[in-house]
Amino acid sequence: MLAGENTMTAGPAEIASSDFGRVLVQRERRFATLLLAPAFFALLLTTTFPLLFLVYTSVYRINLSMPFMNGFVGLENYKVLLADDRFWHSLIVSLVYTISTVLLQIVIGLALALFVMNMKRGQGWFRIIAILPVVLSPAVVGMIWRTFMLAPEFGIVDYLAITAGLGSKNWLGDPSLAMVSVIVIHTWQWTPFAFMVLLASLASLPEDIYEAARIDRASAWQRFRRITLPLLRPAIVMVIIMRTMVALTAFAAIFTVTGGGPGTATEILNLYAYRKSFTELSIGYGSALAVALLIVTIIISAILFAIRRSK
Amino acid sequence: MKRLRMVVLFAITAVFLLAWAFPILWSVLNSFKTDRDALAYPPKLLFEPTLDAYRDVLFGSGSIIPNLVSSMIISVGTTIVTMALAIPAAYALARLRFYGKKFTGFYMLATQMLPPVGIIIPYYMVLRNIGWIDTYQGIILIYLSFSLPFAIWLLVSYFEDIPYEMEEAAYLDGASRMRTLWRIIIPQVRGGIAVTVVFVFLNAWNEFLFAVVLSGNTVRPVTIAMFNFVSVEQTLWAKLAAVSVLAMLPVVILGIVAQKHIVKGLTVGAVKGGGRR
Repeated sequence: MLAGENTMTAGPAEIASSDFGRVLVQRERRFATLLLAPAFFALLLTTTFPLLFLVYTSVYRINLSMPFMNGFVGLENYKVLLADDRFWHSLIVSLVYTISTVLLQIVIGLALALFVMNMKRGQGWFRIIAILPVVLSPAVVGMIWRTFMLAPEFGIVDYLAITAGLGSKNWLGDPSLAMVSVIVIHTWQWTPFAFMVLLASLASLPEDIYEAARIDRASAWQRFRRITLPLLRPAIVMVIIMRTMVALTAFAAIFTVTGGGPGTATEILNLYAYRKSFTELSIGYGSALAVALLIVTIIISAILFAIRRSK
Repeated sequence: MKRLRMVVLFAITAVFLLAWAFPILWSVLNSFKTDRDALAYPPKLLFEPTLDAYRDVLFGSGSIIPNLVSSMIISVGTTIVTMALAIPAAYALARLRFYGKKFTGFYMLATQMLPPVGIIIPYYMVLRNIGWIDTYQGIILIYLSFSLPFAIWLLVSYFEDIPYEMEEAAYLDGASRMRTLWRIIIPQVRGGIAVTVVFVFLNAWNEFLFAVVLSGNTVRPVTIAMFNFVSVEQTLWAKLAAVSVLAMLPVVILGIVAQKHIVKGLTVGAVKGGGRR
């Protein structure tokens, strides 16, 4: 069909039309540049330039409270960083926080999506309620949990714990409980996201494969294991990638709830970089921590994208 | 046996439904309590509702109205600037042929991966030098770092849905490219633009890290002002609840309005990024 059209336009007319075509292409290019340039420069200004400047400040000693000590230090900040126990601790907290929240979101989100998918009535309720946590500011979510849910005695969770005979717990003051609390809060807010995405892709799976499986008398587990899971794989991997990136740079929901505390129990790397820079005003070292976070992010996303591409 | 399993499944799903709704419902309930009712032990489910907390946080001393206004200026400002830059860029990426198109698209996606803390440190240093800390232009500019890539990618998906014939017909009539974009194309994607506006506004309203660093006495969004109600000595329970509800209200309304598009809005970059490479 296409080849036929080409031979139709061959001949003297071709030269003229290709000239005209070239002018059109050129105009199109110019128009594209005009349309793209403002957004492109805005992004250069707000993302690329800060990134370069960050790398630059990371090789300086910049302390806003002691400006007379400032100066070029080369890789000193990075050397300090590698020997900094608090850095390694925050990296571990980051990984624990990220892996546990992402796993919980996927497992609970997928289980709920499978349940809700088979519900004959009431799906609408889930769809509406699932939206609520996702659209809220993590800062507001953090505040609500810190007070109305987890505060000693007055918080509902603590009240339930007392009623259940467990006694009042210091949900945010005890180091390991505080870690559990911030993980639960993040999971509470973002599981609906996994749920909604997985429910949408479940709904788009072809019906006839299941029919065939039923005729072959495949058990429910076999159907899930052999059909649903492989078909959902792209959606699951996508959710994992997106949620991992967010969890690694989570800030508000930890900052408002524990501030990284007690001590450094819930201090993820992101929060450590913030505290160093804006609480201790050590901008140079904070920059080095932020660069380290960027490198960790790149490594993890490279791994995840490799997983996505395989198979 | 089958019935029993259904009942168990139903109970489990009901528990989860309640777990999601409860923290929000509980805040709403507390916002209608007096401080005394909010502090009652055991917690009160039944009480005489009052608007005292709202009256206090809105019209009492330390009113949060300026903070709501501040949040509104930031969010509306960010939305306007973002859309003005994103609509033309998205059209070019979706429709036009030019050198470096792949690279530009990838660049705009990759910028989303930067950890925000890595942007705010250098940004803070620069803004401090030019005196833009605690200014609306300063905060709106940095909000472009996350709103712009997001808006561009969401809009590209809508531009790609319009049939090419529309544009071709307009060119044949002798309309210029700019005129075609403005008169023919943009009206076609009104729906997509509305959805994008909702999400950009929502993300700007909810942002916290940049706001915490750059806010001051002039720029003080409600998410930051909430802290005034919680201190080491005491928490002003009912008032905090009222402020939380006021901070939640706009985004919850927008979320419900845009509920059909929410999955698309939440996954736009990832879906695109995967499809292209």
